[in-house]
Order: sequence, then structure tokens, then C-alpha cells
Amino acid sequence: MENCRIGVYICMCGTNIAKIVDVESVANFVSGFPNVVLAKIYKYMCSNPGQEMIIQDIKGYQLNRIVVAGCSPNMHERTFRNALRSAGLNQYLLEMANIREQCSWVHNDPKEATEKAKALVYAAICRVELQEELESMSVDLCPNVLVIGGGIAGMTAALEIADAGNAVYLVEKNNHLGGNLARVDLTAPYFYSARDLLTERITRIMTNKKVNVYLESKVTELTGFIGNFKATIQSLDGKLVKENKTVEVEIGNVVVCTGYKEFDASRIIHYGYGKLPNVITSFELERMIRAGRIETKEGKIPRFVAIIHCVGSRSSEFHTYCSRVCCMTALKYAHEIKSANPGCYISDIYIDMYAFGKGHEDFYRQSSEAKTLFLMYEKDDRPVIHKASPKDGCEMLIEVSEKLSGEHIEIPADLIILMVGMEAHEDSHEIARTVNISQDKDGWFIESHPKLEPVATTTDGIFIAGTCVAPKDIPDTVAQARAAAARILARIAKGKIEVDALYSEVNEDKCSGCRFCNQLCPYSAIEFFEEKRKTHIISVLCKGCGVCVAACPSSAIKGRHFTDQQMLAQVDGSLCTIDE
Amino acid sequence: MSIRVDPMFIDVLVRFGAEDVQLCYQCGDCSTVCPHADEVYRFPRKSMRLLQMGLARKIETTLEPWLCYYCGQCSEQCPREADPGETMMSLRRWLIARYDYTGIARQLYKSRTIEILAVVLMAMLTGAFMLYFGFTNGNIHIYDGEGAFLPSRFIHKFALSVGLIMAIFLLINAFHMWYLTMVKGTPYPIPWWLYLKKILQLPWHFFTQKRYSECEKKHETHIHMPWLIHLGLMLGHLTMLILVMVFIEKLQSGPEIQWSVHIFGYLASIGLIAGTVYFIRNRLKKNYIQYKKSHGTDWVFVILLFIIVLTGITQHVLHRTGIYEWANVVYIIHLMVVVPWLLRTPFSKWAHLIYRPLAMYFAAIRRDALALQEVALDSNPVFIK
Repeated sequence: MENCRIGVYICMCGTNIAKIVDVESVANFVSGFPNVVLAKIYKYMCSNPGQEMIIQDIKGYQLNRIVVAGCSPNMHERTFRNALRSAGLNQYLLEMANIREQCSWVHNDPKEATEKAKALVYAAICRVELQEELESMSVDLCPNVLVIGGGIAGMTAALEIADAGNAVYLVEKNNHLGGNLARVDLTAPYFYSARDLLTERITRIMTNKKVNVYLESKVTELTGFIGNFKATIQSLDGKLVKENKTVEVEIGNVVVCTGYKEFDASRIIHYGYGKLPNVITSFELERMIRAGRIETKEGKIPRFVAIIHCVGSRSSEFHTYCSRVCCMTALKYAHEIKSANPGCYISDIYIDMYAFGKGHEDFYRQSSEAKTLFLMYEKDDRPVIHKASPKDGCEMLIEVSEKLSGEHIEIPADLIILMVGMEAHEDSHEIARTVNISQDKDGWFIESHPKLEPVATTTDGIFIAGTCVAPKDIPDTVAQARAAAARILARIAKGKIEVDALYSEVNEDKCSGCRFCNQLCPYSAIEFFEEKRKTHIISVLCKGCGVCVAACPSSAIKGRHFTDQQMLAQVDGSLCTIDE
Repeated sequence: MSIRVDPMFIDVLVRFGAEDVQLCYQCGDCSTVCPHADEVYRFPRKSMRLLQMGLARKIETTLEPWLCYYCGQCSEQCPREADPGETMMSLRRWLIARYDYTGIARQLYKSRTIEILAVVLMAMLTGAFMLYFGFTNGNIHIYDGEGAFLPSRFIHKFALSVGLIMAIFLLINAFHMWYLTMVKGTPYPIPWWLYLKKILQLPWHFFTQKRYSECEKKHETHIHMPWLIHLGLMLGHLTMLILVMVFIEKLQSGPEIQWSVHIFGYLASIGLIAGTVYFIRNRLKKNYIQYKKSHGTDWVFVILLFIIVLTGITQHVLHRTGIYEWANVVYIIHLMVVVPWLLRTPFSKWAHLIYRPLAMYFAAIRRDALALQEVALDSNPVFIK
């Protein structure tokens, strides 16, 4: 070990620490230890004067190890690392002892708290002696991007990235672009034409030389890691893609926008979908609207139309989640049907009216003004559809317990529209496996943080956007697509990917090739060299979680900055008896 | 047993004045501010819901519309501007039409033209009849006594006949109301003695309109003007009705003033003038929310009443000052308005004179019967009708 010169800095954190912990006694205690050059206390170590003090001491006293006793490293480790860097010291030669969250805030007895603080600081001193200089590394990034799914999300992301001058490979399962939005006539609540939204995008995609569109194709394999993926695109119908059935492309990032499929209404038996001819789904109504005539199967103009919400959604039997778009779509239908046929009476049978978005509440009000009859039913007390008898004067009767009136009612209907919810594609698990991302219980892809990382996944370089993440409307989908594109473009602009120095390494001499660790890595950062029969950790993907380190029976894996020696020294330091 | 929703009903009710009920999303603010709504009579929210769903068979059995005196607080409170107060008002109009077997009320409410034509026709017939009678039997220069143009004995008989017709229709309608609300519409048994126990409710609500005085209005005076004026109008009308039906001969004799009857006539006139002027003024100024929307029948009601009072006073003054010819002419005009007005009673707004106290009476009975039913159910759960 080279000559250790340790500086210990004990923060009072105003009175947060100092009112319980006797900081001076801690400073006196540690100043006598070997290698400890100085021990100082200060009111706010994280303040500019506090940092400046550390920087000056490093320069003045040639300190080469720093211990800061204060708040949690989550709070200010970054601050003090920066201080070390500006003093010309490697940032990993810092150790923080948490005497606030884990000491002064949780203890009442000043004497015992002070003893504990001493132990924590001493443990940090023991550990910091063994800490090594580490360097972050960076890898090159391929600027090409793979977009899976050619709906509104995929096209938006592809255009954003291609317009910035990067090559995009857009892979679509169907023989046309547009996704589910291509099946819709008008959008709610402002009645923009879906076709207008799409044609502009499709034209731009088709004329953009940077975008390579692969229709009727799918991604069968994805290897590599962030910045350096290789994807295999396979043609589904056997047609040649550039003379080959499969192509292999090199990419740096992937956006998954595979969208949703509609709930199969025939699964709910008492709606009679598939048996009663005039019970149709929302997408079938869209087809009618685009054909320009809303009519029953017998070709008659319906007098009574009923719209049933939450078909497959918000139910304990099928999907518990809300599909988010159906409420407003139902109101849109009410409006469209009423404009096409003003003599028509519309009953809107719902559980709750979710009018969450911009302009939605006004739209709801407009529907009320247009005399849509809103009838509320209890979540798991679904309506039942009966065929009516000729004297009823309508085709069908819907029986339901109406919640707001408390009456058991029957609603006349000639045409019934089922607002089918969204669900994940059956083959979404294939995509999840191919690109190595996770799915929740409903099959939706999981984001790496539900609030702060809504488009990133646990696999670096794989982004998700749109309705493959969860049901959402068009503005949210477009926002996510653009968010994913922005994240990727930021990386491309940087050109390189910074990799944190805290990753694990395999000592190949010790590795027995048992492959025990291979299946454990949550980030798929471990590969295995068959010919050498040795495990190798891809440092770019490794997050330094330490699972493999703990699992390795041969102690062949070292977690950088968290080596066994460092950890044991810290444990020893915290447990040794302190003699006054 | 499920009850059929009628999406078309809401369009029918528009004719009766319920123009905004479709906006209601059942938040229940109206029932919270209403001083009369409680856990048994949950209006206006529940009534609005039944109307939206077109459950006419349910609405016709409810008493709730009559329990509302339309103070307008609910309409002020309503976050959706669905106007619950006016909705309750239109339900009352619809109920008046519903109680009426003949269908006349429905026609009068649904079409302003029919309404005006009916009034004009009745007025013309009355006028023609009076002129014919006057010129064949009397002298236009004589007001009362021998050879009078419209002798008071004749008018008395005429008034009693018209009153009888009106009363018959009104009683039939009231009976219908009782049948719908207390027989058809009450799912639990009502012991007969409850009718006796609660009988005092009827005169109490009829003569005091106590519940109207409980309708609070923040922006009005603490003595609650609408209630006083409404009470004055009603008592004035009632007094006049009794005077005309019983004491017409004394009322019409003269020219000296018969204080024993005329003092009541003057008091009643004050009440009627104050009431009609107050309500016409409010309906014109639309100063409070309950006067913002006036149905055609509301206007006909106050205007006819105003003309009746005006012509009544005029002919009284002309008679006392000895201008008999003109007194007779104005008297005919007076009768031309009075007859259609009286005959319309069972088919129009004025029927609430009897329906509302009846509803208060029935509601009190129902409330007690419901409590008895709950006690019975508690002690013997099998007892369910």
C-alpha cells in the first residue's frame, strides 16, 4: 500500500447532526489514527466553502484519501466526488460515512449516537485505505436505430431520428404502415381525421432516404449491447428483402412500438357478440362510419343505439386496467351517430366516465347537451343483452342494474356497440424475449421507472413507446415516441457511451466455467466464451449490482469499488471496540 | 322485474319546460342544498335521474315534485347548469297532465297555440252567451235587481255550475293522483288509520304553506317575501272564490258598499294584485333563477289572473259610481276571462292549489307507513310484500 494520507471531514449539517452527535469528540477520536492527517468539522460540508476547504487541504496536505462523514451518499456523494476531481484526485478515493440518516436522525441518546458515529467513521477510514483509483470508460455508439412497429408511435420516432440525419430501420408486421390508427376514421375529441394524421407521416417516411421500411417482417434476433447491437430482420411472407429472406443490420438503439390489439368481445358470453348480428365492436363501427352509413345488419337505420363501455377492461374476470381511450371514443361515436341520424337515441352504458385529458370534459358536456342518455352500471354487474320480441319495437333489450337510480332497467337497442379495450399482442412475449425486456402480468412492457423513466427499459439501448407500454391515447403515444427519439438522439449527439467504473470483472484464472452466474444477471451483462469455457462480463451492460460476485463459488468475480477486502475492512472497522 | 328505459321521454318533457335535464351528471349537489330533501324523499337528484331515463311509470307514482316549492337554490348550485328547479317545475306540469284523464291538460301544455285558442274560444262563448242572455232578458242600463243586464241570481247559478264542473274534474284528477301515488306507487302497505292520523296535514299545508317559508334564500329579505306573496295570492284567490260562489248576490247588490262582504273582497284584491304584480314583474325582470324560464302556461296564468282582478275592481268602481252601462260591459269582459280561467283549473298550474297539500299529506302518510314497514321487517324478516 502506498503512503496513505487521509483527510476526515465531519459535517454538522446545521444542527441535523450536531445536536445529537458530538462532532468534536468524533473528530478528536479519529485524528489520532495512523494515516489520518487531519480531521475537521464544519457546519455545512456540502456548501461551496466546505468543498473549497477539502480542495485546499488535498492540495496543501497532499491528501490522497478523503472520508466525509455526513449525509447519505445518495444525497451528496456526487458533490464530493466532483470536489475530489477538481483537486486533481481520483473521484473513487472518497468514502462517505452516513452519520445523519443512519445515526443522528434515528437516535435520541447523544452519547450512544456519538459512539455509533465514531464506529461508522472509523469503518469508512478502514475502507478508504483499500480503495483504488478507477477510471470510467466509454464505448463507441452506432448511430443507426431500429424501430419495431409502424404505427403512429413507430413512425413518429422513426421520423424524429431520421430527420436528425440518422439511418432508421422500421420493421412492420403488416403489409402497410399506420397500425391501429389506420382503422380509425376520426379522433376524439377534436375530430381530426386519423387518415390525415397518418398519410402525412407515411408519405414522409416513404420519401425519406434515411428510413428503410421492412413491411411484413419481424425482428428475429438481437445481439450485442447498447451502441453496438446487431438485429436480424426476417421477411414473414417469404418475399425477398433486398434479395435475401433475412437481413442483418447494425444499430445502436432500439425503439419498440408494437402497439396493442383489441379485446375479443366474444369472450364475454352474455353480450352475445358473434351470435346477435347487431352487436358490433367499436372497430366494426369505425368501418361503417368510413363506409358512410351506420345501419343494422338488415340494412335499417337504427333508432336506438346503445354503447357499452369497458368491454374487457376494468373487470376482475378479464383485464383489471382501464383502456383509457374508450370513454372518449364512445362519446365520439355518440356524436357521429347523432350527426348521421339526428332521430337516433343513444344510450351510453358506462362504469365511470374517465374524461382525463385536454378538452375531454368539454366533450363529455357536449355529449350531454346532445341528449346522450348516460347509464351507469356496477363494475362487476355487467349488462346482459337479450333479443327483443316484435312488440318491443326494437331489436334487442339490454338488462342492467342502473347505479345512479338504483333501478333494474332494460334499455331498447337496435344496434349495440361494444367498446373493446386494449390488450397486449399475443406474440408480445416473443418481442420481449428477442430484445430482452420484461412484461407485466397483462403483457405490457415494463419501463425502467414508472415515473422518471417512462420510455427506457432495464436493458440499456432498448426503448419502449406507445400502447405496447400500457393503453394510452394518441397524444400520449406521440409524446412517448418523441421522448424515446430524444433520448436516442442525445446519445447519438454525444457519440460515445459513458460506462460507470463500477462494474464487475471476472478473474479468468479463477473462473471454473460453472456458468452459475450466467442465469442470474438481471441485465444480461454476462456472456460465456465456449472455447475458453470462461465467463465474461460485458462492462457496458453491467450495473455493478454484485449478484454474480456473491454467487460465484470460486470468488472469481470482483465487484469494482466493492471488493471483498474493502467490504470486510469496513465491517471490521465498524465492529471493533473503541477504547477511549 | 325490470323497468323499460324510454330515451324519448326527455324530448316530451322539453315541451313541459325541462330543457337542460340532460346535462345532469348526478353529483347530488341539488339534494344537498335543498331544505326539503331527505333520505326518504331524495329530490331533485333522483327525480332528475328518473326523468333522464324516461321512467314515466316511476315518475307518475312519485310525490317529490310536489314537495318542491321552487326556491331555486338547487339551480344556483348546479355545477352543470342542468336547472334542477325548473326540472321539478316541468315534472309538476307533466304530472298535472298525467293526473288528468281527459288529455286536455296535456294539449294545453304541449302547444301554446292550442292553449291560447282554448282561452279565446271559451272567452268568446262566454261573451256571446252573456250578451245573448243580457239582451234577451235585461237592460244594459240596469246593473242589478229587476231587469238587470246580468242579474246576480243568474250569475250565482252560472258560477255554481262552472264551479261544479271544475270541482268534478279536479276531484277526479285528485283521485287519480291518490291512486297513482298511494295505491300503485307504494310498494308497502298503508294502514287506513294513517290517513286519519295525518289528516291535519292537509289544512295545515293548504292554509300556511309552511314549507315554502322554509325555503331559504340568501339574497332575499329575512321575512321571505316569495312565501308571503304566494300565500297572499292563494288566500286572496280562495276568498274571492268563496265570495263568488256563496255571496255573489250580496257582493253585486249596491250601489252602497256592503262592508260585511266587501271588506273581504278588498283584502282579497290586495292579495291578488300584490301577487300578480310581483310575479309578473319577476318573470319580466328574470331577477331570480326561478323566474328565468317561464313556460307559456305560467304567463297565461298570471296575466289572466291580473286581468280578472283588474276588470273585477273596475266594474266594482263603475257600479258604485253609477255608470251601469260600462259596469255591465266590463263585467262581461271580466266573466269572459273568469270562465276560461276557472274551467282551466283542473288542467293547469292552478291545480297545484289542491295537489300540493294533498302531496304533503300523502308524503307524511307514506313516511310513517315506511317506518312501520321497516319495523315490521326488522321483527319479522319474512314479511316482504
